[in-house]
Formats: sequence, C-alpha cells, structure tokens
Amino acid sequence: MDFDVNYLIEQWPALLDGVLMTLQVSLLAIGFSLLIGVVGGAIRLFRLPLLSQIVVLYVELIRNTPILVQLFFIFYGLPAVGLGLSLYWSGVLCLSLWAGAYQIENIRGGLATVERGMLEASRALSLRPTQYFCLIALPIAVRTSLPASLNTAISLLKNSSYLQAIGLAELTFVAVDRIATDFRAIEMFSAICVIYLSLVAVLALLTGRLSAYLQRPFQHQ
Amino acid sequence: MSDALLSVRDLRKRFGEHEVVTGVDLDVVQGEVVVIIGPSGSGKSTFIRCLNSLEAPSGGTVVIDGTTVSAGDAKALDRLRKDVGMVFQDYTLFPHMSVMANMTLAPVKLGRMKRAEAEETALKLLDRVGLRHKADAYPSELSGGQQQRVAIVRALAMKPRLMLFDEPTSALDPETVGDVLNVMKELAREGMTMIVVTHEMGFAREVADRVVFFDAGKVVEAAPPTELFNTPKEARTQQFLANVLH
Repeated sequence: MDFDVNYLIEQWPALLDGVLMTLQVSLLAIGFSLLIGVVGGAIRLFRLPLLSQIVVLYVELIRNTPILVQLFFIFYGLPAVGLGLSLYWSGVLCLSLWAGAYQIENIRGGLATVERGMLEASRALSLRPTQYFCLIALPIAVRTSLPASLNTAISLLKNSSYLQAIGLAELTFVAVDRIATDFRAIEMFSAICVIYLSLVAVLALLTGRLSAYLQRPFQHQ
Repeated sequence: MSDALLSVRDLRKRFGEHEVVTGVDLDVVQGEVVVIIGPSGSGKSTFIRCLNSLEAPSGGTVVIDGTTVSAGDAKALDRLRKDVGMVFQDYTLFPHMSVMANMTLAPVKLGRMKRAEAEETALKLLDRVGLRHKADAYPSELSGGQQQRVAIVRALAMKPRLMLFDEPTSALDPETVGDVLNVMKELAREGMTMIVVTHEMGFAREVADRVVFFDAGKVVEAAPPTELFNTPKEARTQQFLANVLH
C-alpha cells in the first residue's frame, strides 16, 4: 500500500473548489447563526412574551433532533409545501438554523453575566432598552461568550460535511466523489482531514485575536 | 410649597405582600441638599430609586419641576429621567468603555450634544474632580474612589437639575471616601439640588440643609442637621442616633 502524493497534487484544483464551497457556506452560516443568536438572546433577555416561548421551542427542536434529519427536512421536505430552496441555500439555511440554536444559548449565557447595575445605570442615563442592549450588554456579553461561540462555529464548519448528503459540492463531497472513481481513499481522506484541521486552526486564530482585543479594557484587574 | 423642584406625595412601594415605602411626603426646593439617614432596610434606597422610576412606585405621585410621574406613564418618565442624575453604591461604570466614552455615551446617543461638545464638557468635568489625566483609562485601571468620581461626573454630563446619590461611599475603602465626599460638597456649594442616602453622618452634619430620618418606610423626622442631631424629637430618632454616634 503506497501513499501517492502526486495523485493529490493532480486533484488539487478539485479539492480547492471543494474548500471554497465549504468556506463560503460556512462563513455565511456563521454570520447568520450569530445574528440568530443575538436576536434570540435579546428576546430571551427581555423575556418578550410569545416570542420567548417560540425561541425556547426552536432551540429545543434543533438541539434534540439529528442535524441530518434537519437537512433532509429542509431539502426534501420543504419543497413539498412549496418552499423549495437551491442546494446551496438549503445548505446555508440548515447550518444557520442548527448553529443559531446553540449561539442563542451561548449569547444568553454571556448576557446572564452582565451585572444588573449596568441596566440600572443605563436607565438612569435615559438610554433606551435597544441602546442598552447594543452598546452595553452585548459588548460585555460577547467577551464572556466568545469561547462557546467559537466552539459552535467550529462545529458548524465541521458539520458542513453533512451537506454532501444532499449533493452540495463541498470538500467532503469532492473527496467522496473522487474516491468513487479513483479508489484513492487514504490519500483523499488524509488530505481533507488536514484541510479541515487547517480551517479550524485559522478560525481559532482569528477568534483569539478578537478575544485579545475585547480583553484590553480588563487587563488591569 | 409651590417653588419645589421635587414634590413627593404619599409615595408607596410594595414588593409582594411587603410594603417597603409606606406613604412618604417630601418637598425639595431648588439648590437644597437633603440627606436621608436611617437603619438598613428602612426603605430609604427604595424611596430614592422610585424618584427616577428605577422602581415603579405602587402608589402616590412624584412631581419634578412640574412634570407629574404617576405609575405607568412611560413618556413622562423619559422626560423626567433626563433631568435626574443618579449615582449608585457600586459605581456601575461601563467596564468595556474608557472614562471618556462612559461620559459622552448618553449625551451623544440621546442627541443632547455633538461629540466634540460632549468631549469638551467631559474634560471640563474631569478637571473638576482631578481626573482629566484618566480620560482614556478604562474603569479597571481606576481605584474605587476614582471610579465613583467618574460616575458622578458621568451623571453631571447630562446636565441634570437634580442629583440622587444612593449610598455613594458605602462600597469604597475608607481612604478614598474623602475624595468622593469632597466632590459632593463642592457640588452642593455650587447650588446643585441633591438627595443623598448615606451613612456618613459627618457629611450630613456639614453639607445638608435638611436631614430626613427614615424608618419602616416612613419619614420619622426631618429637620436641619443641627436640630436633628442635637435635639431629635422622636424617640426612634434618638435611639438610632445613639447607636450610630456612640
């Protein structure tokens, strides 16, 4: 059994297309899931009636069903009620909704650590609830919830490989597709493992930078 | 009193079954310094928090400069809060913002001042409390006393007509209490209308125009400091003063 490096060099353009697709879908979904997290976190923080219950239901639904089932529901289920999406947007939607549920909990956890005095000080200064949330509570919460949010983002990136199940040409799909014709499984899977590891490392590095930036005001404590 | 800046009538606050403030009347005229003293749990903090509706009163009225705030009137409340500054026991500076950002946030975001004007005002105020050199520092770089002085000028940056102080020196270490009290004395001298909840009897004696003794959610006795400290009329006041003044 030999490991054919030349084969991988030859296949690099195909792998690169896969990487780009994985990156596109993941970055979009990370953005959307954080948005869901912030909005859902705010709804939970201010205990908005009805909306709060809907958010709880959504989080429970996502966290207690397999992501593959969620993906099939979106891609095969929704068209039956006239809500068909393209492969690409089905993938983005699935990852966004999945990670959004976890980001709501992450950001809610961060918001829970913001002292009550901050809200009172904001009110005493006449700041509106939305100004309090965006300018005071959220920036303080983000610093606390960043490690958990990064974990969710990393999981999202890894879970993007599920999208091969509906045929989206992301990294895992490319590998499986090549193996089906070339039977070079060890080379391909080694290659995509290294690529996924590198992508996660870059994500963690960028988050580390952000974390250090957010930590500046607190380094004297 | 028709020229009262603040007029409180029969103010009540109940938490569940327990009524913490049980019908308080108080008039404060422009430029007056009222110090509220009383045992812990007597409702004095809750009372002062009702004055800018951090606690929604359960009954009674608060009139500030002609604006009546009764329970549940959000618009009146908004107008009122802008005229009332408040300083808390635990400073509550925004930890992720510099001193300057803390001070300019509300005036700029509420459209009261342009940024340049707000920064100039902030620097002048910081000068007054000897902290101009800390404008770019974060709260975590300041001592408790410095943070509390910033909290005071942050409230002043909104140009309030009335300042509320809720035990402003209780969380400070003894060494820095004096700095904060000096700032408050200075403010009183300049004619700011102030209501101060405190355990600092020396401050009450020196600065107050009137000292109000609170117990069980009620005003037991209110008088100028010399009168209240030297010849208290009520037995409850005498007993409290005997305990705190030794």
